[in-house]
Amino acid sequence: MLRIAPALLLLGLAVAMPLAGASAQERARQRSPAPATARLSFIGLADKAQVPARLTVRFAISGMEVVPAGQPMRYGGHHHLLIDTELPPLDQPIPSDFNHIHFGGGQTEAEIALTPGKHTLQLLFADHNHVPHDPPIMSERITVEVPAMPAEKPRSAAAPGARVFFLDLQDGATIPSHARIRFGAEGIAVTPAGTASPNGGHHHLLVDTDVPALDREIPSDFNHLHFGRGQTEAELTLPQGEHTLQLLMGDHEHVPHDPPVMSPRIRVRVVADGQPAAAAAPSPPHAHGAAAGRTPSPNDAAVYFVYPRDGDRIYPTSTIRFGLRNMGVAPAGVAKPNTGHHHLLVDTETPPFDAPIPSDLNHIHLGGGQTEYKLTLPNGRHTLQLLLADENHVPHDPPVISERITVIVAPGGPNARRRR
Amino acid sequence: MSRARIAITCLFALMAWQGLVAETVAQTPARQSAPPGAQVYFHYPIDGLSVPERFTVRIGLRGMGVAPAGVDHARTGHHHLLIDTEPGTPDQPIPSDYNHIHLGNGQTEVVVTLPKGRHTLQLLLGDYTHTPHNPPVMSPKITINVR
Repeated sequence: MLRIAPALLLLGLAVAMPLAGASAQERARQRSPAPATARLSFIGLADKAQVPARLTVRFAISGMEVVPAGQPMRYGGHHHLLIDTELPPLDQPIPSDFNHIHFGGGQTEAEIALTPGKHTLQLLFADHNHVPHDPPIMSERITVEVPAMPAEKPRSAAAPGARVFFLDLQDGATIPSHARIRFGAEGIAVTPAGTASPNGGHHHLLVDTDVPALDREIPSDFNHLHFGRGQTEAELTLPQGEHTLQLLMGDHEHVPHDPPVMSPRIRVRVVADGQPAAAAAPSPPHAHGAAAGRTPSPNDAAVYFVYPRDGDRIYPTSTIRFGLRNMGVAPAGVAKPNTGHHHLLVDTETPPFDAPIPSDLNHIHLGGGQTEYKLTLPNGRHTLQLLLADENHVPHDPPVISERITVIVAPGGPNARRRR
Repeated sequence: MSRARIAITCLFALMAWQGLVAETVAQTPARQSAPPGAQVYFHYPIDGLSVPERFTVRIGLRGMGVAPAGVDHARTGHHHLLIDTEPGTPDQPIPSDYNHIHLGNGQTEVVVTLPKGRHTLQLLLGDYTHTPHNPPVMSPKITINVR
């Protein structure tokens, strides 16, 4: 009740304003009509929710159509997200600034970054001229809280003496413009991003850049290459000239360890592919050790949970549904490029990638090519992870593995108690 | 490199399929049976949804497994996405054209691009010869609005 009071007040102001000043009246635009039944709300975001600092906000509109800005259409409009601000005057175009985010392309979701603390979010629909409809179509104003991060999130620890280094590549080396760079790690395990593991992390290759801030996520751009799937080598294409390369390990959330595990920064000279590369050019035919027998997977392949999602409350008997991008499913025993079969890992660590996945109650093989599985679990907290494997149950290279998600099993399932 | 491999795989799948079509037309072999309760369904999109012109169709399958075309395994099949078309007679191989998208490598999702307007989508599982099972494992036909 109290929460809508300022909105009502502003509404009152907005109505009063045209009466007060003639200039305001001139500026006031013709407002587009809206049906009385139209509803606007957030999807999956409740009032007083705790949210991560970076979150995806999804909008639901019913009774109206989403059209890009600039296209007049009866009962059409586009979304605006108001962050930490009151409603703007409703007879004028919505301002465009950090507090009033326009989705003029007709987007129905957005990734936003919030600072720790409390924030208010509200949706406001507007017509082709960014002017709210008559009556205005808006959501409830909700308050979300971003927990203070640094205090409760210490950086992952790295074992003393852990180090990363370039294999076959020394400072001052000359390499072709298209080169294979291989990474070595000692005293620390290489594990995919998204999977927390003690003393583990994944490589980041810093190209022509300084070391980034060590207390936060390593940026992801052309200068900071992430190898989130646990790759230990990369095909790198660089323009001719002098470049610097450096390796930096990041934990499951891409944050460097404490102490940071990084290589010295080396300088390389890149020459055209045809020219003889002096000194330490990477030797193409290299023994791959235990990984020799693994089936390659496409670089953009990914496996993920369609249901449940991380943090979900689920029924004791639930159907777990798997999604697979850029690869196909084949039953175990079928050797076909770019295919594999699912394994559901329950309450267990990620197994080694160079051996067949064990078969027991914690490693469920879907050897018949199934893409979902009815799982019964005791009440409480459980972890789930998906790992694709080839016809011999050996993970691909690089491994096609999902994040490890946590679910809470409760007799009432999702209805038991609202999460957080 | 992997792209080339996919292309080659597709080519092989297509060739294998055409060979199989010739065979099936000649002899019409017994259709593979589907277990009771087998069901194919849309994770995304769902009936009545408005979607952008380019979107990913995600496919769920209950009570059976997925196998690439040409792989003869009991209780498996591969997905076909039917766009703006009716399913044909269930004892004939599913045609391969713009209205019948074959996911012959065992894919469980596919990116499609459709012109603006209303379209119907339907899923139909085919066995290793691209023939629907007995009884056919087929989703209800859904209507989507591409905007």
